[in-house]
Amino acid sequence: MGLEIGTNPLDMDTIAARLAADFAAELTDVRVQEPDTVVARCDGAALKDVARRLKAHPEIGYETLNFVAGVDKVGHLESVYHVYSWKTNTYLELHVEVPQATAEVDTVCDVWPAADWHERESWDLVGIRYLGHPDLRRILLKDDFVGHPLRKDYVDSAENHPHA
Amino acid sequence: MLDQFATPAPDEAVKLALRRIEESTARGEGSNVEGLAFNEVVVNMGPQHPSTHGVLRLVVTLDGELVKDVIPVIGYLHRCKEKLAEKRTYFQYIPIVDRTEYVAGMNCEWGYVMTVEKLAGIRPTRRAEFIRVIMAELNRIASHQVAVGTFTADLAPLGTAMVFYMFRDREYILDLLEEVSGARMMFNYFRFGGLRYDLPDGWVEKCRDLMKRLPKLIDEYESLVQDNAIFLQRCVGKGVITQQDVIDYGITGPCARASGVAHDLRRTRPYSVYPELEFEVCTENHGDIFDRYQVRMDEMRESVKIVEQALDMLPQGPVQLGSLRAPYVITPPPGECYTGQENPRGEFGTYIVSDGSRYPYRLKFRDPCFCNLQLFPKLLSGNKIADAVAISGSIDLVLGGIDR
Repeated sequence: MGLEIGTNPLDMDTIAARLAADFAAELTDVRVQEPDTVVARCDGAALKDVARRLKAHPEIGYETLNFVAGVDKVGHLESVYHVYSWKTNTYLELHVEVPQATAEVDTVCDVWPAADWHERESWDLVGIRYLGHPDLRRILLKDDFVGHPLRKDYVDSAENHPHA
Repeated sequence: MLDQFATPAPDEAVKLALRRIEESTARGEGSNVEGLAFNEVVVNMGPQHPSTHGVLRLVVTLDGELVKDVIPVIGYLHRCKEKLAEKRTYFQYIPIVDRTEYVAGMNCEWGYVMTVEKLAGIRPTRRAEFIRVIMAELNRIASHQVAVGTFTADLAPLGTAMVFYMFRDREYILDLLEEVSGARMMFNYFRFGGLRYDLPDGWVEKCRDLMKRLPKLIDEYESLVQDNAIFLQRCVGKGVITQQDVIDYGITGPCARASGVAHDLRRTRPYSVYPELEFEVCTENHGDIFDRYQVRMDEMRESVKIVEQALDMLPQGPVQLGSLRAPYVITPPPGECYTGQENPRGEFGTYIVSDGSRYPYRLKFRDPCFCNLQLFPKLLSGNKIADAVAISGSIDLVLGGIDR
Protein backbone atom coordinates (compact mmCIF):
# COMPACT_ATOMS: atom_id res chain seq x y z
CA MET A 1 0.00 0.00 0.00
CA GLY A 2 1.62 3.15 -1.13
CA LEU A 3 0.49 6.72 -1.21
CA GLU A 4 -0.23 7.01 -4.91
CA ILE A 5 1.25 9.89 -6.85
CA GLY A 6 -0.44 11.32 -9.90
CA THR A 7 -3.63 9.24 -9.71
CA ASN A 8 -5.56 12.05 -11.37
CA PRO A 9 -3.27 13.40 -14.09
CA LEU A 10 -4.58 16.68 -15.44
CA ASP A 11 -2.74 19.02 -17.73
CA MET A 12 -1.68 22.38 -16.37
CA ASP A 13 -4.17 24.49 -18.30
CA THR A 14 -7.06 22.37 -17.02
CA ILE A 15 -5.88 22.74 -13.44
CA ALA A 16 -5.45 26.50 -13.80
CA ALA A 17 -8.93 26.76 -15.34
CA ARG A 18 -10.46 24.64 -12.58
CA LEU A 19 -8.85 26.77 -9.89
CA ALA A 20 -9.90 29.99 -11.59
CA ALA A 21 -13.48 28.71 -11.79
CA ASP A 22 -13.75 27.18 -8.31
CA PHE A 23 -12.08 30.12 -6.59
CA ALA A 24 -13.39 32.86 -8.85
CA ALA A 25 -13.95 35.25 -5.96
CA GLU A 26 -10.66 34.65 -4.13
CA LEU A 27 -7.86 33.76 -6.52
CA THR A 28 -6.71 36.37 -9.00
CA ASP A 29 -4.02 36.41 -11.63
CA VAL A 30 -4.05 32.62 -12.08
CA ARG A 31 -1.39 31.56 -14.56
CA VAL A 32 0.69 28.52 -15.43
CA GLN A 33 4.41 28.49 -14.89
CA GLU A 34 5.99 25.70 -16.91
CA PRO A 35 6.35 22.87 -16.41
CA ASP A 36 4.15 22.02 -13.42
CA THR A 37 3.26 25.03 -11.28
CA VAL A 38 0.17 27.19 -11.10
CA VAL A 39 0.83 30.67 -9.75
CA ALA A 40 -2.00 32.67 -8.20
CA ARG A 41 -2.59 35.62 -5.92
CA CYS A 42 -4.93 35.64 -2.98
CA ASP A 43 -6.21 38.26 -0.58
CA GLY A 44 -4.91 37.96 2.99
CA ALA A 45 -8.39 38.11 4.51
CA ALA A 46 -9.55 35.10 2.49
CA LEU A 47 -6.36 33.09 2.94
CA LYS A 48 -7.45 30.68 5.64
CA ASP A 49 -10.69 29.79 3.95
CA VAL A 50 -8.96 29.39 0.60
CA ALA A 51 -6.24 27.21 2.16
CA ARG A 52 -8.83 24.94 3.70
CA ARG A 53 -10.72 24.57 0.44
CA LEU A 54 -7.55 24.07 -1.59
CA LYS A 55 -6.55 21.24 0.68
CA ALA A 56 -9.97 19.61 0.51
CA HIS A 57 -10.43 20.09 -3.24
CA PRO A 58 -11.72 16.71 -4.46
CA GLU A 59 -9.89 16.54 -7.78
CA ILE A 60 -6.68 18.44 -7.12
CA GLY A 61 -6.27 18.61 -3.34
CA TYR A 62 -3.16 20.55 -2.32
CA GLU A 63 -2.45 18.44 0.72
CA THR A 64 1.19 19.16 1.45
CA LEU A 65 2.79 22.50 2.19
CA ASN A 66 6.26 22.58 0.71
CA PHE A 67 7.48 25.86 2.18
CA VAL A 68 6.53 29.42 3.04
CA ALA A 69 8.75 32.26 1.87
CA GLY A 70 8.48 35.83 3.05
CA VAL A 71 9.53 38.43 0.50
CA ASP A 72 9.95 42.16 1.07
CA LYS A 73 8.70 43.81 -2.10
CA VAL A 74 9.35 47.36 -0.79
CA GLY A 75 6.00 49.00 -0.21
CA HIS A 76 4.42 45.74 0.79
CA LEU A 77 5.46 42.31 2.00
CA GLU A 78 4.54 39.05 0.43
CA SER A 79 4.00 35.64 1.93
CA VAL A 80 4.48 32.90 -0.67
CA TYR A 81 3.00 29.45 -0.05
CA HIS A 82 4.26 26.60 -2.15
CA VAL A 83 1.95 23.60 -1.95
CA TYR A 84 1.94 20.20 -3.57
CA SER A 85 -0.89 18.11 -4.93
CA TRP A 86 -0.27 14.36 -4.76
CA LYS A 87 -3.25 13.56 -6.94
CA THR A 88 -2.07 15.56 -9.92
CA ASN A 89 1.65 15.69 -9.04
CA THR A 90 1.70 19.46 -9.55
CA TYR A 91 2.42 22.52 -7.47
CA LEU A 92 0.64 25.73 -6.59
CA GLU A 93 2.46 28.91 -5.69
CA LEU A 94 0.13 31.16 -3.74
CA HIS A 95 1.17 34.80 -3.30
CA VAL A 96 -0.45 36.73 -0.49
CA GLU A 97 0.15 40.45 -0.21
CA VAL A 98 0.82 41.60 3.34
CA PRO A 99 0.60 45.34 4.11
CA GLN A 100 3.90 46.76 5.34
CA ALA A 101 2.27 48.82 8.11
CA THR A 102 0.71 45.95 10.02
CA ALA A 103 2.73 43.07 8.53
CA GLU A 104 0.03 40.68 9.66
CA VAL A 105 -1.63 37.73 7.98
CA ASP A 106 -3.55 34.70 9.24
CA THR A 107 -1.65 31.55 10.00
CA VAL A 108 -2.30 28.38 7.99
CA CYS A 109 -0.80 26.12 10.68
CA ASP A 110 -4.14 24.52 11.42
CA VAL A 111 -4.63 23.66 7.74
CA TRP A 112 -1.12 22.50 6.87
CA PRO A 113 0.78 21.49 10.04
CA ALA A 114 4.07 21.95 8.18
CA ALA A 115 3.47 25.70 8.14
CA ASP A 116 4.48 25.94 11.80
CA TRP A 117 8.25 26.26 11.39
CA HIS A 118 8.13 27.89 7.98
CA GLU A 119 5.99 30.70 9.36
CA ARG A 120 8.31 31.06 12.31
CA GLU A 121 11.21 31.41 9.91
CA SER A 122 9.35 33.98 7.85
CA TRP A 123 8.55 35.94 11.03
CA ASP A 124 12.14 35.70 12.19
CA LEU A 125 13.79 36.84 8.98
CA VAL A 126 11.18 38.95 7.21
CA GLY A 127 8.98 40.04 10.11
CA ILE A 128 5.60 38.86 8.92
CA ARG A 129 3.39 38.24 11.94
CA TYR A 130 1.18 35.20 11.49
CA LEU A 131 -1.97 35.75 13.53
CA GLY A 132 -3.13 32.74 15.48
CA HIS A 133 0.16 30.88 15.23
CA PRO A 134 0.52 28.71 18.35
CA ASP A 135 4.18 29.47 19.03
CA LEU A 136 5.52 32.38 17.00
CA ARG A 137 9.08 32.52 18.38
CA ARG A 138 12.27 33.28 16.51
CA ILE A 139 13.74 30.14 15.02
CA LEU A 140 17.10 30.79 13.36
CA LEU A 141 18.21 33.93 15.17
CA LYS A 142 18.64 34.40 18.90
CA ASP A 143 15.66 35.13 21.10
CA ASP A 144 16.90 38.64 21.89
CA PHE A 145 17.85 39.65 18.35
CA VAL A 146 16.38 42.98 17.27
CA GLY A 147 14.86 43.48 13.82
CA HIS A 148 14.19 41.32 10.79
CA PRO A 149 17.28 41.08 8.58
CA LEU A 150 15.66 40.20 5.27
CA ARG A 151 13.67 43.44 5.24
CA LYS A 152 15.17 45.65 2.58
CA ASP A 153 15.31 48.58 5.02
CA TYR A 154 17.11 46.61 7.71
CA VAL A 155 20.27 48.32 8.96
CA ASP A 156 22.64 46.22 11.00
CA SER A 157 24.03 47.68 14.21
CA ALA A 158 25.70 46.37 17.35
CA GLU A 159 22.56 47.01 19.40
CA ASN A 160 20.75 44.39 17.34
CA HIS A 161 23.02 41.66 18.73
CA PRO A 162 22.90 41.99 22.52
CA HIS A 163 24.80 38.75 23.05
CA ALA A 164 27.38 38.88 20.25
CA MET B 1 32.44 39.79 36.79
CA LEU B 2 31.16 36.96 34.65
CA ASP B 3 30.58 33.85 36.72
CA GLN B 4 31.25 31.01 34.32
CA PHE B 5 29.92 28.41 36.75
CA ALA B 6 26.59 30.11 37.31
CA THR B 7 23.53 28.28 36.02
CA PRO B 8 22.45 30.13 32.88
CA ALA B 9 19.01 31.69 32.92
CA PRO B 10 16.48 29.48 31.11
CA ASP B 11 15.95 30.62 27.55
CA GLU B 12 12.68 30.67 25.62
CA ALA B 13 12.76 26.97 24.74
CA VAL B 14 13.36 25.83 28.31
CA LYS B 15 10.69 28.22 29.58
CA LEU B 16 8.30 26.73 27.06
CA ALA B 17 9.12 23.19 28.22
CA LEU B 18 8.55 24.18 31.86
CA ARG B 19 5.31 25.94 30.96
CA ARG B 20 4.05 22.81 29.19
CA ILE B 21 4.82 20.73 32.29
CA GLU B 22 2.85 23.17 34.43
CA GLU B 23 -0.05 22.97 32.00
CA SER B 24 -0.08 19.19 32.00
CA THR B 25 0.09 19.16 35.80
CA ALA B 26 -2.83 21.56 35.93
CA ARG B 27 -4.75 19.17 33.69
CA GLY B 28 -4.06 16.49 36.28
CA GLU B 29 -1.91 14.29 34.06
CA GLY B 30 0.34 11.96 36.02
CA SER B 31 3.23 9.76 35.09
CA ASN B 32 2.89 7.15 32.35
CA VAL B 33 5.41 4.95 34.06
CA GLU B 34 3.94 2.26 36.24
CA GLY B 35 4.92 2.47 39.90
CA LEU B 36 6.24 5.97 39.55
CA ALA B 37 4.80 9.08 41.06
CA PHE B 38 4.66 12.15 38.88
CA ASN B 39 8.21 12.42 37.69
CA GLU B 40 9.12 14.82 34.93
CA VAL B 41 12.46 16.33 34.25
CA VAL B 42 13.68 18.67 31.53
CA VAL B 43 16.94 17.56 29.96
CA ASN B 44 18.93 19.73 27.62
CA MET B 45 20.56 17.67 24.85
CA GLY B 46 23.06 19.57 22.76
CA PRO B 47 24.03 21.75 20.99
CA GLN B 48 27.29 19.95 21.73
CA HIS B 49 26.33 16.30 22.02
CA PRO B 50 27.95 13.30 20.35
CA SER B 51 24.67 11.78 19.22
CA THR B 52 23.22 14.77 17.39
CA HIS B 53 25.75 15.00 14.51
CA GLY B 54 25.98 18.73 14.62
CA VAL B 55 24.79 21.60 16.70
CA LEU B 56 21.22 20.42 17.12
CA ARG B 57 19.78 21.13 20.52
CA LEU B 58 16.81 19.24 21.87
CA VAL B 59 15.06 20.32 25.04
CA VAL B 60 13.60 16.99 26.11
CA THR B 61 10.96 16.53 28.78
CA LEU B 62 11.36 13.09 30.29
CA ASP B 63 8.84 11.13 32.26
CA GLY B 64 11.00 8.50 33.85
CA GLU B 65 12.79 7.09 30.85
CA LEU B 66 10.06 8.00 28.40
CA VAL B 67 10.22 11.06 26.23
CA LYS B 68 7.16 13.16 26.85
CA ASP B 69 7.90 16.27 24.85
CA VAL B 70 10.69 17.53 22.61
CA ILE B 71 11.44 21.10 21.64
CA PRO B 72 14.13 21.30 18.95
CA VAL B 73 16.20 24.47 19.08
CA ILE B 74 18.09 25.34 15.93
CA GLY B 75 20.06 28.27 14.61
CA TYR B 76 23.46 27.53 16.14
CA LEU B 77 24.95 27.18 12.67
CA HIS B 78 23.06 30.05 11.08
CA ARG B 79 25.34 31.77 8.61
CA CYS B 80 22.84 34.22 7.12
CA LYS B 81 22.96 32.54 3.71
CA GLU B 82 19.79 34.18 2.49
CA LYS B 83 21.04 37.59 3.60
CA LEU B 84 24.43 36.97 1.97
CA ALA B 85 22.67 36.39 -1.34
CA GLU B 86 21.52 40.01 -1.41
CA LYS B 87 25.07 41.27 -1.82
CA ARG B 88 26.55 38.50 -3.99
CA THR B 89 26.14 38.10 -7.71
CA TYR B 90 24.59 34.86 -8.89
CA PHE B 91 28.05 33.63 -9.81
CA GLN B 92 29.68 34.59 -6.52
CA TYR B 93 27.05 32.69 -4.62
CA ILE B 94 27.91 29.22 -5.99
CA PRO B 95 30.60 28.34 -3.39
CA ILE B 96 28.27 29.45 -0.59
CA VAL B 97 25.69 26.88 -1.68
CA ASP B 98 28.21 24.09 -1.08
CA ARG B 99 28.20 25.01 2.56
CA THR B 100 24.46 24.65 3.11
CA GLU B 101 24.28 20.87 3.19
CA TYR B 102 27.96 20.23 3.24
CA VAL B 103 27.69 16.43 3.17
CA ALA B 104 26.14 16.61 -0.30
CA GLY B 105 27.73 19.69 -1.82
CA MET B 106 27.41 18.60 -5.45
CA ASN B 107 23.67 18.05 -5.11
CA CYS B 108 23.14 21.43 -3.46
CA GLU B 109 25.15 23.25 -6.11
CA TRP B 110 23.13 21.54 -8.77
CA GLY B 111 19.86 22.60 -7.17
CA TYR B 112 20.94 26.24 -7.10
CA VAL B 113 22.55 26.31 -10.54
CA MET B 114 19.53 24.58 -12.06
CA THR B 115 17.19 27.23 -10.67
CA VAL B 116 19.26 30.12 -12.00
CA GLU B 117 19.54 28.40 -15.38
CA LYS B 118 15.79 27.97 -15.53
CA LEU B 119 15.29 31.60 -14.57
CA ALA B 120 17.78 32.84 -17.16
CA GLY B 121 16.76 30.39 -19.85
CA ILE B 122 20.14 28.69 -20.14
CA ARG B 123 20.42 25.06 -21.24
CA PRO B 124 23.64 23.33 -20.20
CA THR B 125 25.55 21.20 -22.69
CA ARG B 126 24.69 17.55 -22.96
CA ARG B 127 28.05 16.31 -21.75
CA ALA B 128 27.76 18.59 -18.74
CA GLU B 129 24.36 17.12 -17.91
CA PHE B 130 25.76 13.61 -17.77
CA ILE B 131 28.76 14.62 -15.69
CA ARG B 132 26.38 16.41 -13.34
CA VAL B 133 24.39 13.21 -12.90
CA ILE B 134 27.59 11.27 -12.18
CA MET B 135 28.77 13.81 -9.62
CA ALA B 136 25.41 14.01 -7.88
CA GLU B 137 25.07 10.24 -7.64
CA LEU B 138 28.64 9.75 -6.41
CA ASN B 139 27.95 12.38 -3.80
CA ARG B 140 24.70 10.64 -2.90
CA ILE B 141 26.58 7.41 -2.18
CA ALA B 142 29.17 9.26 -0.09
CA SER B 143 26.39 11.04 1.77
CA HIS B 144 24.50 7.84 2.54
CA GLN B 145 27.73 6.32 3.78
CA VAL B 146 28.04 9.14 6.28
CA ALA B 147 24.36 8.83 7.19
CA VAL B 148 24.28 5.09 7.77
CA GLY B 149 27.77 4.96 9.24
CA THR B 150 27.19 7.52 11.94
CA PHE B 151 23.71 6.19 12.59
CA THR B 152 25.00 2.69 13.33
CA ALA B 153 27.63 4.23 15.60
CA ASP B 154 24.77 5.66 17.66
CA LEU B 155 23.47 2.14 18.19
CA ALA B 156 25.93 0.95 20.76
CA PRO B 157 26.20 -2.78 19.83
CA LEU B 158 28.23 -2.18 16.71
CA GLY B 159 30.48 0.39 18.19
CA THR B 160 32.29 2.33 15.54
CA ALA B 161 33.05 -0.64 13.25
CA MET B 162 30.62 0.34 10.53
CA VAL B 163 31.73 3.96 10.53
CA PHE B 164 35.25 2.93 9.67
CA TYR B 165 34.20 0.65 6.85
CA MET B 166 31.98 3.31 5.37
CA PHE B 167 34.36 6.20 5.80
CA ARG B 168 37.15 4.11 4.29
CA ASP B 169 35.11 3.62 1.12
CA ARG B 170 33.84 7.16 1.14
CA GLU B 171 37.45 8.21 0.73
CA TYR B 172 37.57 6.50 -2.67
CA ILE B 173 34.61 8.56 -3.80
CA LEU B 174 35.98 11.77 -2.38
CA ASP B 175 39.25 11.06 -4.20
CA LEU B 176 37.32 10.89 -7.45
CA LEU B 177 35.48 14.12 -6.71
CA GLU B 178 38.72 15.77 -5.68
CA GLU B 179 40.38 14.82 -8.94
CA VAL B 180 37.57 16.47 -10.86
CA SER B 181 36.92 19.59 -8.84
CA GLY B 182 40.03 20.09 -6.73
CA ALA B 183 38.13 19.88 -3.44
CA ARG B 184 36.84 17.13 -1.22
CA MET B 185 33.74 18.77 0.21
CA MET B 186 33.40 22.38 -0.91
CA PHE B 187 33.53 21.67 -4.63
CA ASN B 188 32.58 24.92 -6.37
CA TYR B 189 32.34 22.84 -9.54
CA PHE B 190 29.03 23.72 -11.16
CA ARG B 191 28.74 26.66 -13.50
CA PHE B 192 25.76 28.21 -15.25
CA GLY B 193 25.53 26.40 -18.55
CA GLY B 194 27.93 23.64 -17.65
CA LEU B 195 30.81 22.82 -15.38
CA ARG B 196 34.10 24.32 -14.36
CA TYR B 197 36.40 21.59 -15.71
CA ASP B 198 36.09 18.58 -17.95
CA LEU B 199 36.94 15.17 -16.52
CA PRO B 200 40.70 14.59 -16.25
CA ASP B 201 42.39 11.87 -18.32
CA GLY B 202 41.83 8.36 -17.03
CA TRP B 203 39.09 9.45 -14.65
CA VAL B 204 36.35 7.48 -16.38
CA GLU B 205 38.32 4.23 -15.98
CA LYS B 206 38.98 4.92 -12.32
CA CYS B 207 35.30 5.62 -11.75
CA ARG B 208 34.26 2.44 -13.58
CA ASP B 209 36.70 0.47 -11.48
CA LEU B 210 35.22 1.82 -8.26
CA MET B 211 31.67 1.19 -9.45
CA LYS B 212 32.64 -2.46 -9.99
CA ARG B 213 33.90 -2.75 -6.43
CA LEU B 214 31.20 -0.77 -4.66
CA PRO B 215 28.33 -3.31 -4.80
CA LYS B 216 30.55 -5.85 -3.06
CA LEU B 217 31.46 -3.31 -0.44
CA ILE B 218 27.78 -2.52 0.13
CA ASP B 219 27.13 -6.25 0.61
CA GLU B 220 29.91 -6.21 3.14
CA TYR B 221 28.23 -3.40 5.09
CA GLU B 222 24.98 -5.30 5.10
CA SER B 223 26.57 -8.50 6.33
CA LEU B 224 27.91 -6.51 9.26
CA VAL B 225 24.56 -5.34 10.55
CA GLN B 226 21.68 -7.10 8.88
CA ASP B 227 21.76 -10.24 11.02
CA ASN B 228 22.80 -8.58 14.23
CA ALA B 229 20.01 -9.29 16.72
CA ILE B 230 20.67 -6.19 18.78
CA PHE B 231 20.68 -3.99 15.70
CA LEU B 232 17.33 -5.41 14.62
CA GLN B 233 15.85 -5.07 18.09
CA ARG B 234 16.74 -1.43 18.18
CA CYS B 235 15.50 -0.68 14.66
CA VAL B 236 12.46 -2.74 13.77
CA GLY B 237 9.16 -1.10 14.58
CA LYS B 238 10.69 1.96 16.21
CA GLY B 239 10.13 5.57 15.17
CA VAL B 240 7.41 4.93 12.63
CA ILE B 241 6.62 7.75 10.19
CA THR B 242 3.12 7.26 8.79
CA GLN B 243 1.98 8.33 5.36
CA GLN B 244 -0.22 10.95 7.02
CA ASP B 245 2.93 12.43 8.58
CA VAL B 246 4.51 12.53 5.15
CA ILE B 247 1.53 14.48 3.83
CA ASP B 248 1.14 16.78 6.82
CA TYR B 249 4.77 17.73 7.33
CA GLY B 250 6.15 17.54 3.81
CA ILE B 251 8.60 14.76 4.66
CA THR B 252 10.75 13.92 1.65
CA GLY B 253 13.68 11.72 0.72
CA PRO B 254 14.48 8.30 2.21
CA CYS B 255 12.29 9.11 5.24
CA ALA B 256 9.24 9.37 2.98
CA ARG B 257 10.19 6.45 0.75
CA ALA B 258 10.64 4.19 3.77
CA SER B 259 6.95 4.82 4.50
CA GLY B 260 5.90 3.52 1.11
CA VAL B 261 5.66 6.89 -0.62
CA ALA B 262 7.42 6.65 -3.98
CA HIS B 263 8.19 10.36 -4.05
CA ASP B 264 11.50 10.96 -5.78
CA LEU B 265 11.96 14.20 -7.70
CA ARG B 266 14.19 12.40 -10.19
CA ARG B 267 11.01 10.61 -11.26
CA THR B 268 8.07 12.74 -10.09
CA ARG B 269 9.48 16.06 -11.30
CA PRO B 270 12.19 14.87 -13.67
CA TYR B 271 15.09 17.15 -14.41
CA SER B 272 18.27 16.94 -16.44
CA VAL B 273 18.77 13.56 -18.20
CA TYR B 274 17.19 11.36 -15.51
CA PRO B 275 14.30 10.36 -17.81
CA GLU B 276 16.87 8.63 -20.04
CA LEU B 277 18.36 6.61 -17.20
CA GLU B 278 16.96 3.44 -15.72
CA PHE B 279 16.71 3.09 -11.99
CA GLU B 280 14.24 2.07 -9.33
CA VAL B 281 12.72 4.36 -6.75
CA CYS B 282 13.49 2.34 -3.60
CA THR B 283 10.62 2.11 -1.17
CA GLU B 284 9.78 0.13 1.96
CA ASN B 285 6.48 -0.21 3.73
CA HIS B 286 6.81 0.11 7.48
CA GLY B 287 8.39 3.54 7.86
CA ASP B 288 10.47 2.48 10.85
CA ILE B 289 14.16 2.96 11.54
CA PHE B 290 15.12 -0.25 9.80
CA ASP B 291 13.27 0.67 6.62
CA ARG B 292 15.00 4.02 6.45
CA TYR B 293 18.32 2.24 6.77
CA GLN B 294 17.27 -0.26 4.10
CA VAL B 295 16.17 2.45 1.67
CA ARG B 296 19.55 4.15 1.97
CA MET B 297 21.38 0.89 1.31
CA ASP B 298 19.22 0.18 -1.75
CA GLU B 299 19.67 3.72 -3.02
CA MET B 300 23.43 3.34 -2.91
CA ARG B 301 23.09 0.33 -5.22
CA GLU B 302 20.77 2.26 -7.53
CA SER B 303 23.20 5.16 -7.61
CA VAL B 304 25.96 2.79 -8.69
CA LYS B 305 23.72 1.68 -11.56
CA ILE B 306 22.99 5.26 -12.55
CA VAL B 307 26.66 6.20 -12.57
CA GLU B 308 27.52 3.18 -14.72
CA GLN B 309 24.81 4.06 -17.22
CA ALA B 310 25.84 7.69 -17.34
CA LEU B 311 29.45 6.67 -17.93
CA ASP B 312 28.35 4.46 -20.83
CA MET B 313 26.22 7.20 -22.35
CA LEU B 314 28.68 10.02 -21.70
CA PRO B 315 28.82 12.03 -24.96
CA GLN B 316 31.80 13.95 -26.26
CA GLY B 317 31.69 17.71 -26.52
CA PRO B 318 32.22 20.82 -24.46
CA VAL B 319 31.32 20.94 -20.76
CA GLN B 320 30.59 24.65 -20.86
CA LEU B 321 28.38 26.61 -23.22
CA GLY B 322 30.56 28.46 -25.72
CA SER B 323 28.36 31.54 -25.56
CA LEU B 324 28.87 31.64 -21.80
CA ARG B 325 32.64 31.25 -21.68
CA ALA B 326 32.77 33.82 -18.90
CA PRO B 327 29.48 33.30 -17.08
CA TYR B 328 30.42 35.71 -14.33
CA VAL B 329 27.72 38.23 -15.01
CA ILE B 330 24.35 36.61 -15.24
CA THR B 331 21.29 38.80 -15.22
CA PRO B 332 18.12 36.72 -15.32
CA PRO B 333 14.98 38.60 -16.35
CA PRO B 334 12.63 39.71 -13.56
CA GLY B 335 10.53 36.87 -12.27
CA GLU B 336 10.60 34.06 -9.81
CA CYS B 337 11.35 30.40 -9.96
CA TYR B 338 11.35 27.37 -7.71
CA THR B 339 13.01 24.08 -8.51
CA GLY B 340 13.49 21.08 -6.31
CA GLN B 341 16.42 18.75 -6.53
CA GLU B 342 16.51 15.25 -5.09
CA ASN B 343 19.17 15.59 -2.46
CA PRO B 344 20.26 12.49 -0.49
CA ARG B 345 18.02 13.76 2.32
CA GLY B 346 15.02 14.82 0.31
CA GLU B 347 13.79 17.76 -1.67
CA PHE B 348 16.37 20.53 -1.69
CA GLY B 349 14.57 23.45 -3.23
CA THR B 350 15.76 26.86 -4.27
CA TYR B 351 13.31 29.71 -4.62
CA ILE B 352 14.70 32.80 -6.33
CA VAL B 353 13.02 36.13 -6.94
CA SER B 354 14.87 38.13 -9.55
CA ASP B 355 14.48 41.85 -10.19
CA GLY B 356 16.59 41.75 -13.34
CA SER B 357 19.81 42.82 -11.65
CA ARG B 358 23.06 40.93 -11.10
CA TYR B 359 22.05 40.06 -7.54
CA PRO B 360 19.21 37.76 -6.47
CA TYR B 361 16.47 39.93 -5.00
CA ARG B 362 15.41 37.15 -2.65
CA LEU B 363 16.78 33.66 -2.38
CA LYS B 364 15.32 30.97 -0.19
CA PHE B 365 16.34 27.40 0.35
CA ARG B 366 13.76 24.76 1.14
CA ASP B 367 15.86 22.35 3.09
CA PRO B 368 14.74 18.72 3.49
CA CYS B 369 16.22 18.36 6.99
CA PHE B 370 14.42 21.50 8.19
CA CYS B 371 11.11 19.95 7.19
CA ASN B 372 11.96 16.49 8.51
CA LEU B 373 13.15 17.88 11.83
CA GLN B 374 9.77 19.49 12.33
CA LEU B 375 8.30 16.04 12.87
CA PHE B 376 10.61 15.35 15.83
CA PRO B 377 8.26 16.30 18.69
CA LYS B 378 5.65 13.94 17.30
CA LEU B 379 8.11 11.22 16.33
CA LEU B 380 10.07 11.04 19.56
CA SER B 381 7.26 11.45 22.09
CA GLY B 382 6.38 8.20 23.78
CA ASN B 383 9.70 6.54 23.00
CA LYS B 384 12.50 5.74 25.41
CA ILE B 385 15.27 8.30 25.47
CA ALA B 386 17.76 5.73 24.14
CA ASP B 387 15.51 5.09 21.15
CA ALA B 388 15.21 8.81 20.60
CA VAL B 389 18.90 8.86 19.79
CA ALA B 390 18.48 5.99 17.32
CA ILE B 391 15.49 7.65 15.68
CA SER B 392 17.19 11.01 15.28
CA GLY B 393 20.17 9.22 13.75
CA SER B 394 17.93 7.47 11.25
CA ILE B 395 16.39 10.75 10.06
CA ASP B 396 19.89 11.87 9.03
CA LEU B 397 20.02 15.56 9.83
CA VAL B 398 22.66 17.92 8.52
CA LEU B 399 22.61 21.08 10.55
CA GLY B 400 24.30 23.13 7.85
CA GLY B 401 21.16 22.79 5.81
CA ILE B 402 18.71 23.29 8.64
CA ASP B 403 20.30 26.47 9.95
CA ARG B 404 21.52 27.81 6.61
